[in-house]
Amino acid sequence: MTPDLIADLRAFGAAAMKEWRLLRRYPARMFGFLFWPIALPLAYVYQARGYAGGSQAAVEAFAQRAGTAEIAGFLFLGWAAYMWLSMILWGPGTALREEQVRGSLEALFITPASRLVVLFGPVVSQILWALWMFAVVGGALVLLYGVPISPLAALRAVGVVMVAVPALYGLGALFATVVLRFGEVGALVQVVRGLFTVFCGMTFPIVILPEWGRALALALPPTYLIGDLRSVLLTSSNLVSLAPSLVMMLALGIGLCGFAIVAFRRTERFARRGGSLAQY
Amino acid sequence: MTLELRAALAVARKELQIVRRYPLQLINEVAQPLYQFLLPSLLLGATFYVGGRAIGLQASAGTEDLAGYLFLGMVVGGLVAAVFWDMAFGIKREMDAGTLEPMWLTPTRPETTVLGRALSGLALSLLASAILVAVGILFFGAAIAGALLAAVPALLLASVSMIGVGYGIASLVMVMRDPNFMIDATSFTFSSLSGVAFPVTVLPAFIQPICYLLPTTYAVDLLRYYALGTRPLLAPGLEWAALVAFAAVSVVLGLRVFLRTEHRMRVQGTTGQY
Amino acid sequence: MTPTNGGPAIEAVGLVKEFERGRRTIWQRLRREPDRRERFRAVDGVDLRVDRGEIFGVLGPNGAGKTTTMKMLATLLEPTIGTARVLGFDVVRDPREVRRRMGAVLSDGRSLYWKLTARENLEYFAALYHVPPAEQRARIAGALTAVKLDDRADDYVERYSTGMRQRLVLARALLPDPELLLLDEPTVGLDPQASRDLRDRVRDLKAQGRTVLLTTHYMEEADQLCDRIAIVDHGRIVALDTPAGLKRTIAATEVVHLEIAAGATDAALLGRLERAAGSLARQEREDGSLQVTVHVRSARDFVPLAFDAAHAEEAAIRHVEVVPVTLEDVFISLTGRALRE
Repeated sequence: MTPDLIADLRAFGAAAMKEWRLLRRYPARMFGFLFWPIALPLAYVYQARGYAGGSQAAVEAFAQRAGTAEIAGFLFLGWAAYMWLSMILWGPGTALREEQVRGSLEALFITPASRLVVLFGPVVSQILWALWMFAVVGGALVLLYGVPISPLAALRAVGVVMVAVPALYGLGALFATVVLRFGEVGALVQVVRGLFTVFCGMTFPIVILPEWGRALALALPPTYLIGDLRSVLLTSSNLVSLAPSLVMMLALGIGLCGFAIVAFRRTERFARRGGSLAQY
Repeated sequence: MTLELRAALAVARKELQIVRRYPLQLINEVAQPLYQFLLPSLLLGATFYVGGRAIGLQASAGTEDLAGYLFLGMVVGGLVAAVFWDMAFGIKREMDAGTLEPMWLTPTRPETTVLGRALSGLALSLLASAILVAVGILFFGAAIAGALLAAVPALLLASVSMIGVGYGIASLVMVMRDPNFMIDATSFTFSSLSGVAFPVTVLPAFIQPICYLLPTTYAVDLLRYYALGTRPLLAPGLEWAALVAFAAVSVVLGLRVFLRTEHRMRVQGTTGQY
Repeated sequence: MTPTNGGPAIEAVGLVKEFERGRRTIWQRLRREPDRRERFRAVDGVDLRVDRGEIFGVLGPNGAGKTTTMKMLATLLEPTIGTARVLGFDVVRDPREVRRRMGAVLSDGRSLYWKLTARENLEYFAALYHVPPAEQRARIAGALTAVKLDDRADDYVERYSTGMRQRLVLARALLPDPELLLLDEPTVGLDPQASRDLRDRVRDLKAQGRTVLLTTHYMEEADQLCDRIAIVDHGRIVALDTPAGLKRTIAATEVVHLEIAAGATDAALLGRLERAAGSLARQEREDGSLQVTVHVRSARDFVPLAFDAAHAEEAAIRHVEVVPVTLEDVFISLTGRALRE
């Protein structure tokens, strides 16, 4: 390991620690990590009850399209992925822009730390919260709905989440770069979240979508994450049977991370030429 | 009285002027409910279709018009969001921006400035809702009958009640250091329990009484009753009476809480803090 | 500007404001535990009388209680003890009457709406100040002219410089055509030119017959602008007089600053200097040298004595500076500290 690499790893750790400290200063927000993973999917479970209306035919229609009759499990897992994506977009996705608005971006850029630290540093502390959120969802499914989740299935789910990490955080890094370049935050986050909500099958099986919708869905990493999570936890699929999907997700992840790095370097060069690192 | 009303309208006008200068945000007022709630819900509902029909919803609510059901729910959902985020949370934004103190230095009553924010929030929400309902009719086949207009007074009464609720929530916002989660969670819970997204009859029995304590429950129920012919929760006459009662009580109570909190802030000197 | 009944513009008697330090958690409140938070007095018994038509300054370091006093007079804060009447109205019993007649600058340009133009900001606040609709246009035009922002009235505030924003904040305070203006540190954060501009605007206000209560920690500003000044420290007024009157309290007309490269015989040297000057206003070690300040009637008489004292103690005087007595010197003589510490 070169000295520079060691220093960068230390810088990663410091960036993660900074994010953790900032998060701890808002204890009320920590309640959110307990409330939303349960409340949001629960609202959709009640919606599903309304749409089922006690009709066996309606429930069977759902099971046939979704591949499972575990409606609660289906919805909880979809929303878990949505919440993780939201955390990424609002967290690492906006971190650079927030540094710029605060006036601290320049201070980061004049350090010798690798730009990867700046881009991916906030991610590290966030993964722990993501895992916590998945644990809450899993716990809710087992305790509230009696969905049987074996330890092996849970481990497989962790495996799926880990494979999804490059894809989702690559998305977050790319988003951060776009936001830094163009300045808009809130509205962009909503649009991207909306795009994924509609096309990634968070509340429905993507077979419902028209053909063009399905094609778009298959180009988005969260689609694979949600589908694979549902498969391992609700239909006891193993990772081998999901290999094509996992490989696709990994490939998308590597591509997105690479693209994000290139885009970020270009944005940085543009900002250095135009002096916009300190502007907002 | 005229001067206070003029001040309230000036606050509303100022809010709308600022919003106009963020065009993406304006578009989001219509787009966000669509992609964050309506489309996912419609697609979920479609997964339960049998032979292209929402027979499950027919059984639970008395209508097969899924789009109509959801888009009308969104009208009241928008009202709740406007009160929680524009009216109540708006105070926090003013505090953070440093503009609250200068407003409270004027002879205009603080509660009037809060009312002004409610007016702009409700106006925007109403406009967005009208556009959304049109979208629902034109693109999603919502068959909303003209009798919907008979339910408009219900919306007005619910708005008055919600202004009272908004004063209460604004009081909490003023004393909390970080009210984001509180606003987010209570707004979401309020909407959910009002039946914006699903019939409240599917909720567990011990929760349902809470739904009957919310004015918005009756507003959304009457909207759907008149527009879609759904099965009402109570006799419509009773629901109208409940709305009137809520409107009368809620504003008085909410204002009282707000004025006490505002006085406390002046004693403790927290008007300029953020 | 329609003057109210006669009498002073501001009359405060025994004003006290106490705050609690620390937080009381929800659990403590629910369990009704006794409130053990430390109470401290930000304002500790202030008596103040500001006559109509004068510019009255409140001078003191950060944390002296200036802003807290202003906020009580502006009705943003309720006094813990004591009374205050502004333009004849009690600030606790009749706050709206006070607000109708008063304009205040208690914050900086952050208290404007940056996504609105200057004119739009003023239109908004004119409504909040209950400016009659028929008078609104003229009032806004007058306010903009008073602060020399006419030509930029239709630009977004986000494009303004800091100085322009501060002037716009002053324009906002002029909307109710107030008899009294409260200005809390109005030139903080402004460059010298912008500060000078703002001070000119304040003089114009006095020329129009308005009363101005101004807080500052810049003694030059207080000296130049104010008819009378109250010096505050730790929540109390420690002196109150005209600027000239305050300077006379020192019984000196000149201030001599000495920088001495001294050794281990500080005490002996300081003793000699004190005998020569009568007293030492200030002495401290800084970067290896001794900094001494004395107030004297004649620097011409004292300086040779200072050199003699240094020579006797084998010390070398590196630098001598002679300046007229300032309010800072008055503050040091009263409190033993500088305004900027």
